[in-house]
Amino acid sequence: MRRYIYLLLLLLLACIDPYEVDVEEGPQLLTVEGFLTTEEGPHVIKLSRSATYGSAFEGLVRPVREATVIIRDNLGNVTFLAEDLDNRGSYFTPEGYRAVVGRSYTLQIQLNEGQVYTSLPERIESVPEIKSLDYQIVRIPVEGETNERSGVQLIADLDDPADQDNFYFWRTGTSTFILKTRPDLFTERPSDLEPNRDPDPKDCCDTCFQTETFGNTGIFIANDDSFNGLNTKLPVGFIEDDGIRFVETHRAEISQISVSAEAYRFLRLVKQQTEVSGSVFDPPPANIRGNMISLDNPEEVVLGYFMAGAEAKQEIYINAVDMDFRQPVTIIPDDCRVLPNTTREVPPNWNPN
Amino acid sequence: MKKLLLACLLLLSHLALAQTEVKREVIGRDIGQLNGIRISARVIDEITGEALVGATVSLPETGEVFVSDNNGTFDLVLERAEYNLVFRYVGYEEVQYPITAVGDGRILIRMIQEDFELEDVVIFGRDPDKNIRSTDMGAVTLSMNTLKELPPFLGEVDIIQSMATLPGVTQVGEASAGLNVRGGGADQNLIQFAGAPVYNPTHLFGLFTSFNPDMVNQVTLYKSVIPSRFGGRASSILDITPKAGSVDKWGGDLMLSNYSGKLSVNGPLVKDKVSIRGGIRGSYINWFLNSLSNPDLKNSQASFYDANLIISAPVSENNEFTYSFYTSYDDFGFASDTTISWKNTSHSLQWKSQLTPKLNLEALGYLSQYDYSIFNEAGSVNDFDLNSGVEDIGGKLFLQYGFSETNRITVGGEYKQVRIQPGELIPTSGPESGILPQKVQDEFGTEAGIHFQHEFELGEKVGVSYGLRYDTYQYLGPRTVREYAPNQPVTDGSAIGETTFGDGDQITTYDGLGPRASLRYSFNKSTSVKLGYNKMYQFIHLISNTATIAPTDVWKLSDTFIEPQVVDQYSLGFYKNFKGNIFETSVEVYYKDQENVVEYKDGANLILQNHIETELVPAQGQSYGVELYVKKNLGRLTGWVSYTYSRSLRRVITPYEEEIINDGEWFASNFDKPHVLTLIGNYKVSTNTSISATFGYSTGRPVTFPEAKFDFSGNNLAYFNLRNEQRIPDFHRLDMSVNFKLKGKGKFFDGNWTFAVLNVYGRKNPFSLFFVDEAGAPPQALRLAILGVPLPSLSYAINF
Repeated sequence: MRRYIYLLLLLLLACIDPYEVDVEEGPQLLTVEGFLTTEEGPHVIKLSRSATYGSAFEGLVRPVREATVIIRDNLGNVTFLAEDLDNRGSYFTPEGYRAVVGRSYTLQIQLNEGQVYTSLPERIESVPEIKSLDYQIVRIPVEGETNERSGVQLIADLDDPADQDNFYFWRTGTSTFILKTRPDLFTERPSDLEPNRDPDPKDCCDTCFQTETFGNTGIFIANDDSFNGLNTKLPVGFIEDDGIRFVETHRAEISQISVSAEAYRFLRLVKQQTEVSGSVFDPPPANIRGNMISLDNPEEVVLGYFMAGAEAKQEIYINAVDMDFRQPVTIIPDDCRVLPNTTREVPPNWNPN
Repeated sequence: MKKLLLACLLLLSHLALAQTEVKREVIGRDIGQLNGIRISARVIDEITGEALVGATVSLPETGEVFVSDNNGTFDLVLERAEYNLVFRYVGYEEVQYPITAVGDGRILIRMIQEDFELEDVVIFGRDPDKNIRSTDMGAVTLSMNTLKELPPFLGEVDIIQSMATLPGVTQVGEASAGLNVRGGGADQNLIQFAGAPVYNPTHLFGLFTSFNPDMVNQVTLYKSVIPSRFGGRASSILDITPKAGSVDKWGGDLMLSNYSGKLSVNGPLVKDKVSIRGGIRGSYINWFLNSLSNPDLKNSQASFYDANLIISAPVSENNEFTYSFYTSYDDFGFASDTTISWKNTSHSLQWKSQLTPKLNLEALGYLSQYDYSIFNEAGSVNDFDLNSGVEDIGGKLFLQYGFSETNRITVGGEYKQVRIQPGELIPTSGPESGILPQKVQDEFGTEAGIHFQHEFELGEKVGVSYGLRYDTYQYLGPRTVREYAPNQPVTDGSAIGETTFGDGDQITTYDGLGPRASLRYSFNKSTSVKLGYNKMYQFIHLISNTATIAPTDVWKLSDTFIEPQVVDQYSLGFYKNFKGNIFETSVEVYYKDQENVVEYKDGANLILQNHIETELVPAQGQSYGVELYVKKNLGRLTGWVSYTYSRSLRRVITPYEEEIINDGEWFASNFDKPHVLTLIGNYKVSTNTSISATFGYSTGRPVTFPEAKFDFSGNNLAYFNLRNEQRIPDFHRLDMSVNFKLKGKGKFFDGNWTFAVLNVYGRKNPFSLFFVDEAGAPPQALRLAILGVPLPSLSYAINF
């Protein structure tokens, strides 16, 4: 219903602007975020504490360190997770650890201070393959700007199994794309010692491969109520065109993950909250309840969700020449290797057609 | 030539003289009768020939006032004497009619709608001391002429938004369709046009009301003690009566504003026998959208129209048939892939008859339909249509017997069948569609009610009205109904079986007795106190997770799991008029108890939901308030001030912890606005110019603030816990309009210019505050203001 607001905006009646509200100091509630799948690990569980709503100055979400974190399956196997000392609050499973379809998994946490938490068991259901990925260009008008934003919406083609209730979550994986830069335009940053602003071209290099992992831009979920047992095509991800990612060839990757009905409900509430428009038609804010409980104090609120599911990956190569709309190319006047996550090596399995 | 002119002038002045010195008419054949002279007076509209129901005649000589019956007739029993009869009717010019009564006879009074030429405008002037004398509580009638004095919304008088200026009536926010009457939900109002219920009378998602004011005779809102002939909704009745065409001559209205245009024509199909009035109204916003350069907006569309047809046949003085048709249609599409449309249609046929001078009959049959669709035509395999709708077919019968002017009995009954199509999803991309057709089971129900009301006076001081209504409701098959495990919350997981009911099988039934009573005690002619009680049943629920009526809402009949809404209301009022009824004042207090209102589970999924009971939790409501009201009826400056203090609360009662909302305590409903102040004024600058202004203030409505933020999958999410604990900033807004009447040549081309500005000082009244985490900014609160700027409109209307 965000569109309705566009109409009102357009009639020059409505407007949306930031508004100062006095939000009371928020409680520091334990927050759990984790995803265990059937792909080879390591899988990560992040622990943090909630903070006062607002910017980082009003409240900073802090990691929870030095907890003991284990995952237990219904056969009694216990796996310890180790905290990454460079990335506090993130606890990793051993390399190669993976979930098995048909088993149930429970996350258990003991904090340094002694409190014990557990998740409700999550059962791994099988997931169908993505038969193929396709994409379409999406253009997004921006209020008050002449240039539209745009990006690539990824569309999965899948055969939904008829014999089960499926709940899908799609995660955008790591993209790899050809990065073009202009080392010939390189200019040393002027300083007091070197006030020269003349170009100082570098010899190398104008072409690299860059990898980039996106946070989820939007939550992509579906249940099969409306397509049980059918072949269907659904939007499963979105990668914004920033003028760098889609210059030549881009390889995008999507994971299709089966989640439980409860996890789906949780994700739906998250999605609902991220898509709120403030309009007449918004549902009221909902309390997003997760699957973690405190064993010491049943009244204690624990945020977040420990999810577990089967995962199927699919990738697609997108050639810039095939795209019917692109952002103007961003010029980077430097050696492409200075940018993060870049390499001159052709990545493994790189075979665009 | 000069002589001719002079002659004309003389003739004119003579005519004018003749008009001011009305001759005293001698009524009846003089056979020397001294008393018991029976005179029947009937008042009709001069143009339309329509009987004016509820007009008054006052006899200054005896101090008596009578109200006309359903036929527009007064039956006077007089002594042989001279009388100066004064006829009054809301929105009409007063008629002075001196008579000498000598024998039985009849008088026919033709009343003329009042115009701007009047020095003074009488608002609500139906019957100057009616508020004191009648036993009605909380019934407000506004004629279209009164409504036209208020600042127009986007160039038009808006019936529903005008109602929200009355004490005890609020709206959730700007541009929201529903009314909240005395703390009741938006679904608890019965809005009926010509006796047929209308489910979503809005255009543009609530920016406009879809009743064309030119087609409306008057609007009555019952918010306190609702007469027993009305039922089926728990909070209020908004009764809109259609306006008949002229039986005498052809005429029409045309109005153009910068947002929409309308045209209506009326006249005699058969002279003095059958009249017709037809009108159509539409917008040209589409055209405006298409002229924009932004491709998404250019491909957007927003259009609406509404149309009415009223055929009235006063076949005899005692019998009148009226057919009314109403339709409204909206469609709204964004970037041409998804179109949302909704449509209301109603037909009704009414027969009014005066069987004997004391016995009146009214019979009505209606068909009302509401349909709502979403079409998705993106050209992919996922194209679909999603349809839903409601259909009512019903009839009513109503008899009124008057023992005397002040002692009346009404009895009657009504019956209706309701069919709801909650939702059907139809794939439209052919055999390779990636969408399964889905249909939520249709619902069938019948409602029947019989009612009785007796109204009488015990001397001058005491008036009593009491009534009883018995409602019965059946929920019928075909339907498959789930069974849930006892002592567990109703969820998909607790379903243990299903029962299938055949076509017409009774699934469940409810009934109830709804008493209505009011008592009036007058201290004197200008002061009274009234006491009232009523109980209402409602067998339909609006399943809406939003704060207002939206076209996407689903209507749901009461069933095994969702019991009928029951509302008890107690009210007490004190009324006093000053300076010969120029000022009316009142103080009303009420308390309302609501059972079986529904609340929603967190993140409830309501669309295409076959088991809606799994998404709802039963709740109780209570509301109470004090309404203060001062109105000036007469003079160059007219208007009113109202202030209401009220609360509207909800509480969820459930034995299951996972369903508890706000710890099971009372919490503010979405439309709880404790302080509401309304100031309305209309000032006649000259005989053809008037200025009006409306100022409204209210406490901001409740909103839920996040208690904390937390990180999940790259988003900063808000943690909400207790509902509706905080409030958005207070609302206040000033609207003004100037109305200028152009005198055209003769009576046929009178133009009327109206220039209005809504939100004069451009306050950004928040409709809502919401909390987002968008890239490039910290998680923050945003404010949506629907009318964030001063909004001018200009309209020009002519009568011909």
